[in-house]
Amino acid sequence: MRAAVAMLALTLALPARRAPSPAGEWRAALDLAGGELRFGVKLERRGSGWGGEICNGDKCLPFSAVSLAGDSVALEMADYAAAITAKLAGDSLTGRYRNVGNRGPRVIPFRASRGRWTASRGPERLTGRWDAMWMGDFGTSPRVIELRNGEAGLEGTIISNTGDYGHFAGQVKGDSFSLAHFDGSYVYLLTGALGGGGGTPDTLRGLFHAGLRTQTPWIAVRSTGGPHLKALTENTQADTTGPFRFAFPDLDGRLVTEGDPRFKGKVVMVDVFGTWCPTCHDAAPELVRLYRKHRARGLEIVGLAYEVSGDTAVDRRQVRRYREKFGIPFTLLLAGVNDTEAAAATLPQLQGFTSFPTTIFLGRDGKVRRIHAGFYGPATGAQHAKQVRDWEREVERLLLEKREE
Amino acid sequence: MTCRRVPAAVLTALGALAAPLQSQTPPPDIVQERSAYAEWLDTAPGSPLAAVAQQPIGPGIRLGPPDADVPLDGVGEHRVTERNGIVTLEGPDGARVVPAGRPIALGSYSVASGGVAGRRVVTVYGPSREARTADYYPYDPKLVFVGPMSPPEQPGTLRVLALDGIETEAAEAGTVVVPIGGRAVRLRVRRIPTGIGDEAELEIFFRDGTNAKGTYPAGRFVALVPTGDGRYRLDFNRARNPFCAYSSAFPCPAPWRGNTIEVKVEAGERYLGGGLSAPPGGLEAR
Repeated sequence: MRAAVAMLALTLALPARRAPSPAGEWRAALDLAGGELRFGVKLERRGSGWGGEICNGDKCLPFSAVSLAGDSVALEMADYAAAITAKLAGDSLTGRYRNVGNRGPRVIPFRASRGRWTASRGPERLTGRWDAMWMGDFGTSPRVIELRNGEAGLEGTIISNTGDYGHFAGQVKGDSFSLAHFDGSYVYLLTGALGGGGGTPDTLRGLFHAGLRTQTPWIAVRSTGGPHLKALTENTQADTTGPFRFAFPDLDGRLVTEGDPRFKGKVVMVDVFGTWCPTCHDAAPELVRLYRKHRARGLEIVGLAYEVSGDTAVDRRQVRRYREKFGIPFTLLLAGVNDTEAAAATLPQLQGFTSFPTTIFLGRDGKVRRIHAGFYGPATGAQHAKQVRDWEREVERLLLEKREE
Repeated sequence: MTCRRVPAAVLTALGALAAPLQSQTPPPDIVQERSAYAEWLDTAPGSPLAAVAQQPIGPGIRLGPPDADVPLDGVGEHRVTERNGIVTLEGPDGARVVPAGRPIALGSYSVASGGVAGRRVVTVYGPSREARTADYYPYDPKLVFVGPMSPPEQPGTLRVLALDGIETEAAEAGTVVVPIGGRAVRLRVRRIPTGIGDEAELEIFFRDGTNAKGTYPAGRFVALVPTGDGRYRLDFNRARNPFCAYSSAFPCPAPWRGNTIEVKVEAGERYLGGGLSAPPGGLEAR
């Protein structure tokens, strides 16, 4: 009879059965392009809702919110505008980690199974302080790697010239290790091996993974205690105070320089543009307007075209078409092909040149007064209006400067 | 092209022998990537479709009043300055740090910082955004290549605009050689920091025969992805427009030397115009 009642209760309970509970510990991983970043996730019921933590070894941080809808789990990290969303199926979670990058979403595949990553202690020959060099595309740069055994097995820290990368924890297998730091924003994985890649036994080699795709090889030797990290050097700022020189052919092939009589004693706007550049198209009508309005008072404009083909006849045709489209009355010169290095090479005074269009304002003495990169087109509304007013004022100011004899 | 011999370093096409019937169906990861991107364009506070202005901070700029560097409706006098790489927004309610890439509210607008220390820029986003999305060519498995990357001819770093129009310090990462249009085309690869920790993408900014004839006139970016075995995957189906394709709040990056593919690369993001003028007659003269 008892058994029959129990059976009945079970049968009645079946239709109301919900998706399995995500409560408990999870062996979680992010699948990076070059390896698996392991971390822990703990989820539990809290009142009527859910709560949880993200863990690197025994160092855990709370999720800002955990929600469950059917078989969908959302683990949020509000500080980083980030979240892990996953489908719960039996003893596995599958989904993705996502946050808002500057140039698009940052998405990394996520998966987890029930349980806890096993703690593994590192041998003494791995632990201690290592002087490392990151062998990146930007050159080599020093780091210090500290490895030690903690409650959750091998753990460590990476220190750079500017700070540290947080707490790393992970696994050891023989002389190889894989340590991770994932706090909801930073996605770091340090893999390495003693003597890896044919090195000597007291050399560590490995890869440092940042995010989904960045992999930087590194090599380290045991620290002798001497200073290893150095101060970073500062970038120098561009010097824009010199007189501005140029010499390029016009659309009929005649060489025109800044010394040409048409520019003498004039305020000159140099428009570095390309017919391929839509923002340059937005700027052209405004340049034409300024020119028509202020030419009689001493404004000259010269457009330096950086074109696509490198074939003079083709480029010339393209620039002529541009001139006709906008009814450009000022001088257009064929300055070169449209890449940054070419522009930088032909205009050596433009240090740090990066964008099309770039507008250079020259005083009546031919010296650079101001450089403006980019142009707000009419679609930007108030920014466009502001830019138009601003250029107008700049031209007015320069026109009022005294003429040099 | 300098490279007529097909050297060991050539990227080989993946799926070149795939059945034609499968060719139009993008793999699930691309579908997911594109839907995430569409959602990001539509909802992210830092979507280029919401941008109204992007300006270098220099010695300091003013936001708000009609005569400010960046006039913003209904926003009082604010000043943005950069000191030791930290960007600060000061206004009637005090001073706030403007984080990189994470917009903070300013009236009905929001403001984020970006760029390298000493040369940071601010980007201002408006309360509304254009109702547009990215558009793509049909998926083409013949335009996926896998192979090695050769070291750069001239290693070094340089300043370039990333696809978000913000100047960044990039490194020459190397070159890849792609067999496309019957030629071995060598493409320059640069490592561009993402602004998140130590992350950086291997990017190729390239031009091809579709520019201004179906794709953005200034060229497109495509990432080179490490496959984990020392090789790299170049998938032109993942080619993306720079942000100046979405709004003239952003300057266009100058195309990179050399990276021109003579034939049409009909894969990846298309350009349907909208808000920007395209060059007259396109580049067909090429």
